Amino acid sequence: MQKLKSQNLGNLSESSLKTLAQNRITTILDFLEEDVSKLSALTKLSLPQILAIRNEIFTKYSAPLINGTDLFTKVFKTRSRISTGIESLDVVTTGGIPVRCITEICGLAESGKTQLSFQLAINCVKDEGCTVLYVDTKGDFSAVRVQKMLDTQGYSHKDMASIMYKIRVVHIWTMEELVELFKSLKNKTLIIENLAMIIVDSLPCLMFQHLGDDNKMGLSLLNVLVNYSRYIANEFDVAIIYINIQTRWIDNDISDIEDDGESTSAFRESTYIEKRNRCLGRYWEHIPTLVLLLEKHEDVYRESDSYTQIKVSVLSSNAVKNENSQCILKLSSVGIT
Amino acid sequence: MKTFKISNATELWQRETSLPAVASFSQSLDNMLGTEGFQLGCITELLGLPGSGKTQLCLQLCASVQIPKELGGLNAEALYIDTNTNFTISRFREILSASLLKCQSILDKPLQITEEEALNKLHYVNAFGLEKFCAFMYRLSKFITEHPNVRLIAIDSIAFPFKDGISTNQRTGLLFRQMAELQKIAVQHQIAVVLSNEMSTRVGLQGGAVVGSLGDAWAHRCNVRILLSTPHPAQDQRERVALLMKSNVAATSVARFQDQRERVALLMKSNVAATSVARFQVRALS
Repeated sequence: MQKLKSQNLGNLSESSLKTLAQNRITTILDFLEEDVSKLSALTKLSLPQILAIRNEIFTKYSAPLINGTDLFTKVFKTRSRISTGIESLDVVTTGGIPVRCITEICGLAESGKTQLSFQLAINCVKDEGCTVLYVDTKGDFSAVRVQKMLDTQGYSHKDMASIMYKIRVVHIWTMEELVELFKSLKNKTLIIENLAMIIVDSLPCLMFQHLGDDNKMGLSLLNVLVNYSRYIANEFDVAIIYINIQTRWIDNDISDIEDDGESTSAFRESTYIEKRNRCLGRYWEHIPTLVLLLEKHEDVYRESDSYTQIKVSVLSSNAVKNENSQCILKLSSVGIT
Repeated sequence: MKTFKISNATELWQRETSLPAVASFSQSLDNMLGTEGFQLGCITELLGLPGSGKTQLCLQLCASVQIPKELGGLNAEALYIDTNTNFTISRFREILSASLLKCQSILDKPLQITEEEALNKLHYVNAFGLEKFCAFMYRLSKFITEHPNVRLIAIDSIAFPFKDGISTNQRTGLLFRQMAELQKIAVQHQIAVVLSNEMSTRVGLQGGAVVGSLGDAWAHRCNVRILLSTPHPAQDQRERVALLMKSNVAATSVARFQDQRERVALLMKSNVAATSVARFQVRALS
């Protein structure tokens, strides 16, 4: 809870703050909960003055009212999507990665999540000229790979350098560090000019460190992180992408083929059902506005070009549902197209 | 207030290309990795059934980290963390002297190193059991500051300490904490990390029942995963097949192979490198 002292409230003098503190009224909440006449006696202020201070606090801390026109102008003036630079992906996501929102890319291990995030970073810098912050939590950022992707696309050394200069990478190893990073972005103690996109690869790597703890530390850190992310995304018009993973469950279902009450056990056949679920738990499930699911589809091998097909499906989105919410991407040495 | 070191990709590229990767003495394996060997700063996981050559490859890498600078090597030291007592010093001595001999024959002049000095460049830790393993991992950063020339850390195997006495949730939590710490050290000091892992069976999985142990979340953690196996049918007892399952660098070899049979085309044909032939041979015959 915020301290009274730091609030700079109109009529409260230093000496009356001291008296209040002696009477154990130190935070805003204490002040609001205290009997008005007692406060008046302590601070030697009149009742209307005390009420004025209370109102001041309420207006300062209540959620602000914005009318629809203002809200629309803000959204209208700035763009609402960042193109992914991949045509088919833009179609299924109705224009690209949503700005001021949290996006999740999930998939099993080895499904091409990191490769897609490299490509998104490159395309964002290349097409929009903005800066991208890549938060690397498992040492997966490979500048060599990014350089190779640009090289096969036929960029000159100068262009490559200027594109790569705008991809900023920070290594983060714990959840606490990540929260600290977002906090300093929020407080503007860390300023990255022209920032358009933040990619966190990957969140489970940090969250899993808290697995098996009895306390709920991990969850509370995740909550703080989400709040900061939302604030940053809105305040600085940034798109935030989190990489999540999937794990597989196996259910052993017993299905009765012939259930006539007599010979059930003889005809029982056990089937295994593979289930996949997104990690990070129930709380996280509803946080991202756009969820993209990646699946390794098929490896294609030809003499001329060989590539892996990756199936992308939109699991949930804030935009109107498209008719088809799936597309196939091509992962090759050029990158993802 | 903590300050964060934010570097741009150009700086990272310079750093990544400033030092060579740890070559394995098998050209096809190095080519497959796309980085001419095991990249510094990355965690590489070796998967495979017993006898597929995981330990042998670990030992080989501990020897190849010593390749002199003239030959584009690192001339560095290695740390071998043994958790399943698979390590035998006589095997390592064989591999080491074979590797050094090969270097000599390429350089065409005697190396300025005695066998004793070369053996001194291997730091061996027997971390048997969960407590010992965790205790050593805790002290690892101190060890690395004391031995700044270590460029390779091999853990054989990562799954062994976690086989007993720990719940699955706790295991994942602990593993991820340790790996974050390990990779932090690896990235800061530019060290290649190689882990070996066993296979386990999960009945009812779509893509085949035999998968790497430690679960799906773990599969996500390592930067590079290589599956080692003995080819079927084996024409040569000494031959092992390596399949690149996941990589953050080489997208091409993820894509190049249509099915399992053609993937075999990407063989780690041991006969390419004289040294590794011997290594795999003895293992196969014993």
